[in-house]
Order: sequence, then structure tokens, then C-alpha cells
Amino acid sequence: MASKPIPAPAKARAGQSIKRNTDGSQVTYRMRITFQKHGRAAMLSHLEIARALERVIRRSGLPYAITNGFSPHMRIAFGSALPVGVGGDEECLDVLLTERVDPAIALIVLKASSAPALMVKDCKYIGARDAAASVAFPYSFYEVEFSEPLPCTVEELPIPETITVIRKKKEKELTVSEFLLPDITLDGCKMGFVLKTGDNGSLRPDVLMRELLKDMPQVRVQSITRVKQAESL
Amino acid sequence: MQDLWPRLAPLLPQAERPVRYIDHEFGAVHRTPEDDPNDYSLCMVYPDTYELGQANQAVRILVNAVNARPGMFAERAFLPAPAFGDVMRAEGLPLFSLESCAPLGEFDVVGITLPHELAAANVLETLDLAGIPLRAENRTESDPFVIGGGPCAYNPEPYAPFFDLFSIGEGEEAVPELVECIGRGRRQGKSRKQILADCARIGGTYVPTFYEELSDEEAAECGFRVRPIEDCAPAVVDKRVFEGFAESSAWEPCIVPFADLVHDRLNVEVLRGCSRGCRFCQAGMTYRPVRERSADNIVESALHGLKVTGYDEVSLTSLSTTDHSQIEQILKRLDEELQGTGIRVSIPSQRLDSFGVDMAELVAGQKRGGLTFAPEAGTQRLRDVINKNVTEDDLFNALTAACKAGWTRAKLYFMIGLPTETDDDIKGIASLTQRAFDCMKKAVPPEQRGRLSLSISCALFVPKPQTPFQWDGQIPPEEALRRVNLLRHSIKYRAIRVNWHSPDSSFVEAVMSRGGRECANLLEEAFKRGARFDAWTEHFNEEAWREGARAAGVDVQAIAQRQFGLDEVLPWQHISCGVSLGFLRKDRERAEKEETLQDCSFGTCTGCGLCPQLDVEVITQEERLG
Repeated sequence: MASKPIPAPAKARAGQSIKRNTDGSQVTYRMRITFQKHGRAAMLSHLEIARALERVIRRSGLPYAITNGFSPHMRIAFGSALPVGVGGDEECLDVLLTERVDPAIALIVLKASSAPALMVKDCKYIGARDAAASVAFPYSFYEVEFSEPLPCTVEELPIPETITVIRKKKEKELTVSEFLLPDITLDGCKMGFVLKTGDNGSLRPDVLMRELLKDMPQVRVQSITRVKQAESL
Repeated sequence: MQDLWPRLAPLLPQAERPVRYIDHEFGAVHRTPEDDPNDYSLCMVYPDTYELGQANQAVRILVNAVNARPGMFAERAFLPAPAFGDVMRAEGLPLFSLESCAPLGEFDVVGITLPHELAAANVLETLDLAGIPLRAENRTESDPFVIGGGPCAYNPEPYAPFFDLFSIGEGEEAVPELVECIGRGRRQGKSRKQILADCARIGGTYVPTFYEELSDEEAAECGFRVRPIEDCAPAVVDKRVFEGFAESSAWEPCIVPFADLVHDRLNVEVLRGCSRGCRFCQAGMTYRPVRERSADNIVESALHGLKVTGYDEVSLTSLSTTDHSQIEQILKRLDEELQGTGIRVSIPSQRLDSFGVDMAELVAGQKRGGLTFAPEAGTQRLRDVINKNVTEDDLFNALTAACKAGWTRAKLYFMIGLPTETDDDIKGIASLTQRAFDCMKKAVPPEQRGRLSLSISCALFVPKPQTPFQWDGQIPPEEALRRVNLLRHSIKYRAIRVNWHSPDSSFVEAVMSRGGRECANLLEEAFKRGARFDAWTEHFNEEAWREGARAAGVDVQAIAQRQFGLDEVLPWQHISCGVSLGFLRKDRERAEKEETLQDCSFGTCTGCGLCPQLDVEVITQEERLG
């Protein structure tokens, strides 16, 4: 039996042929899917979310493209990760399809394949060269709900100047102002703020809240939700 | 039912992996306001964490079986990890079902599967966390009925006082019958004892309180260690067999979890039972007879299941999948249908003798993970003793074929401490492994040899009830370590890695495997001293077991290590898997004479007694050749 040192080119699905571009690469259509991470699903990790959504796409029957390597897998890319415990209203992923499916129909089958807490909300085609979902939206808008109103005004919020985090087993000091935009809202138990992802990484909203509430032990965070992601302000 | 979620949710940030407790997976079945609140209820528990339990076949099958019947429903529950269990205790939050997040104590029936001996302490952890009295005798009318089943129920005695009843054998039919009987009895206001008496009339049911323990003399006279004291209780409890298995659909509704499970894929059970007759193997005796589902059923179920679940892998599960008479057809058809999807087909284990290159190719597609084979013993003599009917050449041929087809990694399983084992057999493992590695090297071009790896994994022999080796003692842990070291020093190739299990936990396994009712006290004492999650190396608490044994006054060495006489009355003699005691004795004698026995699903009947005793038969789709 001969060994197979070179991976075979992408096989067509049973009963289908592969459409190719003039350079021989497979014709694909890039679809951006927006979904929400709500309720109990907020407790899921990024990896768990990724696995669950890959399964949603397989269940939906959409003609997803696969990689050509030794270990073929779905050609899918996820937006920036949320920490465990943080929900999201507009999370996104990009998946490559081998056929152009009407987005309205795609949305119907995706919704039918989703668990309620992790529901697909929208899908649309984007350009092949558009920025990846993970870097397209440097601004994240968060809403936090506290167990009780904070005993201070927006101006008095004890926002730390720096926060020390552990990255890859090393301590790293983050300057909060590099991430946190000055426009913060505080309304009763609710707080809104924007975090910017920069060249020197990102600041987790749950870490920021932990530091902020350090001297207010009576206040608990009920929920943190990324309500919006944007290219610019 | 009470919804504990509002109390659980604020604790979840303290959990290591909250995903274990959140439910709401795709496919989970929930109660609706239209459902009758008086429906009979079962909470099915796997006594370990979500990652292990959610992958368990018994939980899936039994929850489905109960949910498929009108008038009853089932939910799942798993143990929290130790640290979160302590958080729950501190907060006074009882163990809950996933779907309704309801306390276990509010169900009519709590079913606990007993997957292996090291889960014993977790049974008590389950009851304790649930706030259900540990001992059945202390339960009141409002407490649920705690029922047990699964592999360890073939010797239920060490668990006897903690369960209201055991259901022996396959539960597809028995469990819904029991839920019906218990639920109806409770609604009618019957006493626990009356309900248990009704249950005892359902086939496969063992109600420990309906039996009295006998003295050694009485036991010798009556042939059993316990004797019924109620008319409804049979002297011998025969296991249940789900006779409709072969015809039933291989597709069962399943939950697609968010969490990363130990076996995170679609499982399609292709056949049940294995009569190869390895003499150490309990599953090989207790899951008889062999029953195959048809290729059409399997292929259609696998494709349908993949479509419904969205999994990227389907596993064709059974004790011995490559023995299926239509396996080649099944794999070819699936391979064809799944082309271009990136979806993989896998087989849980490969037998050396039925393993062909074609099959390996079909299973792997383009992937080349590691391959695992289980020669179990190092010399032909010892392989004959244990009735593992594979030869050195089988192993060498399989490895040569695999390496030529592109595999570079292989793992071999061996057992240490098998009956009649000598140092020559241990050195035989080293010799066999080294020659196997030579075969691998010869099969690949010289420039690829550096990538080859071969590892061996050694388990300590644990004598299991209902097998021909049930009478054989386990070697002491010190002796096990000496033999492991002998093996390690006998292997000259540095490329071969040797892994072995801790002999201390295997010792506990042997005690719980062969113990009688006296081991229930030991279990409770060990649990009180902190034993739980014994199968997790980092949680195994040897001290708790040693101290527990002292407190309970149980001679654990004798239980695990003593050679029982063939005519001795065993603690589990009143539980029958259908394979007769006479056959097991004869087979033990054959082992001594190094005589092998063939597989009845490939040839003629070997006289184990099962088919006439239980009125069942072997079902293969085509003639098995091999």
C-alpha cells in the first residue's frame, strides 16, 4: 500500500463538483455571521463558542468550504474573544461557502440550527479581502449591571491608572487610559464604557470591573455584555 | 419542582468550568408548562463530572428511553468537580438536575450508573450532596428511590445498603418499567416496602433488603451468600437483555454539548456484545450475546445523526467494531457519503486479527493519528492462558501495514499480574515490543524512521466478577512495581516509552470488585475520610481507604489478593449474567492448561449457557469470517 505524503486536493461532496477560479483555487463566498451570546451562554469560553458555532453551521446544511491539509476542517474565523462570564449582543465570525446561498435563506437555516442562548442574528456576504472578524472592530462597547447603584458619580469613579495582569505566566502592567475611552456613563445600576484594542493587546472588561470595585465589596457585578463592536467611534 | 438556578448562577464565577452546570445545550429536553406535573420522574446520574458523564452511553440511552414513554420524564445530573462541590456544600445548595435545575431529592427515582469500581465513593458523594440519606434503611417516604445499574452492578454487594434496588443488565426496557412501578406506587400512597416488592417482580431487579446474609456454613449449604426473605425476591437474579436491540434504530436523539467532552462526537452503536472470550474481561461475559445492527440501519443513522447534531466525527461504537460482519461495507459507504465534508469516521479500538490495511485507510481518511492495539500479554503462552487469540505475527503484520499506510505512532496495551504470569512473560513484553518496533522501522523509508514512536501502557490485572478469572487474586502493589521495573529495564530501545497505572488505585479497584457486603462499611468509612473522585490521579486518596479499611475492620488484602477456591461461594453468586458458573469454572481450568476457546459468533457454540438460560440468540447480519 503506497503512502500518501501529499494531501489530496479538496474532494467534492458526494454528487457535486468543485468550482475553481482561473488560478485553480476553489471559488468561495465569504459570509459574516452575527450571533448573540446571552444568558447562560455568557458562561461559555471562546473555544466552547467556536465549537458550538461550527456545529451550528454543519447542522444548517450550508455548503461550507474545508481546508486541504492532512486534517481537513471548516474554513471559519472568529471575531475577538470574550472572557468567560461576559455576554455579547453582536459577536461575529466569518465562514467560507462554496456556493452562494441567498442570505435570507441562510439566516433561516442558521437560526433553526441554533440554541436559543447562542442565537444567530444576521448574516451577509463580505469581500474576500475585507479585514478579518478578529481585527475589523477595535472598539468594544460594554454595558455592566451592578447589584446596587455605585456610591459615586461618574467623575468620582475610582478608575485605576494601571492594572497588572498575567499573560503567558508573566506579569504585565497595562495603562488603563490606553484602552478605556473617557466617555463613561453611569445610570443607577448600569454603567457603559468603551474599550479599544490596541497594538499592546487588550484590557478585559471583567478585570477592569474587578479593579474598579475593589473597595466596594457590597457591590456585585450582575452581568457584563458587549453590546456593540465598531470599526471606529 | 424547585428551580435552584437563581441560587446556582451567582456561584458559577467560582466554578473552574461553569459550562459543566449551565445546561441549555442543543438537543436538551425541557419540561413545559403543558406537561403534567404528576408525571413520574427519573434523574439519571453519572457519578463523575459533566465531561465524562455527558459522553456516557448509558445516561443517554436511559434518559431517551424514559422520555419516549408517556407519563414520565427523565433529566440528567452529574457530580460537580470537588472544589465546586465544596462551594455548594458551604452554600447549602443541593445537587441538582441539569434541565430543571431541581434538587435530586424531588425526583421519584434517582438512577446512578456504576461504570467502574473507582466511582464507588462518588456514589456516596452524589447522595451526600443531594441530601439523600446514604443508607436506604434511613430513607423516608418522601425520599426518592435510589436505583443502580451498569457494570459494577454485577457484584452489587459493596453498594447494597446505599441503593433501594439494582437493575441488572440492559436497561432500555427495565428502567422505564421501574420508573412506572415506583411512580405509580408513590402516587397511590404505597409504602416503600410495598413498592419495592412490586419492583422485585420486574425482571433483573435485585432488592438487597429482601435478602439476608448467610454465615459461611449456611452459604456453603445453600450455594449463595444471601438468601431471599420475601416471596417476591428470586434466589438468583438474571440480567435483562434488550431483545429488540438489533432491529432498533442506531440513531438516538442526543444532546450536543458546549463543553469539550472525553468523547465529543456522534456515537453510533453498531453492535452489542463480544464473545471473543478474553478471560479477564467482564464486558465480554456480561454483554453477551452478540447482536449486530444492519449496515443500512447504521449508515442511515450515522448520516442522519451527523445532519441533526452537526458533529465533525462519528464513532462506530461497540466492544469490538471490526468484528461486525458488514464493517467493510459500512465504512466504504460512509466514506463515500462524507467526502468533501471534513467529517471523520472513527472506531474506538482495533483488534489485531481483524485489522486490515483497507480498514485503517477507510477509518483514517487523510488523518494519521496514533493507533492502539491490545496484545495484553507478552508471550504466546500467556496469551493462550487469557484466551487472547492473537499471535505475534498478527501484531507485526498490523503494524507493518499501518506504517506503510502512513502511521508513525502506535500504542500497545498490556496487563501485568495476569494469572500464571512469570518474569519470562514480563521480559516477553519487552521482547515483543522491541521486535514490533523493528517491524515499524522496516516498513518505512530510512529518512522517516526518526518520526516513529511506540509506547506501551501497562495496567494491573484486576479480577472481575462474572469472569473466568474471578477467583484469581491480584498481585500486591509492591510486586506490581517490581514487575513494571523489570519491564522497564528489559526494554533497550529508548524510542519505546513505558506508561503504567498506579497499583494503589488498582488495589482499591480489586477490593471493590470482589468484596461482599462488608465492603459497604469500608466504602462509607473511606468516603467519610475524604475519598472521592478516586479515578482522578490527583484526587485519589489512598490514606482515606487505608484508614477506612481499619475503621470498618475489613481485611482488604484478603479480598483483593487471595486466590479463591473454585468451589467457594462468591459474594455475587446470586447475580447472573447468563454465563453459567460451570462454564466459568471449566474455562478457568482451560486457562491453567493453556487451552484457548473460539468465539461462538464466528463458529460453533462454546457452551457458556447464556442463550438457553435467557432464551436469547446471537444475531449477526452475515456470516462472520475470520
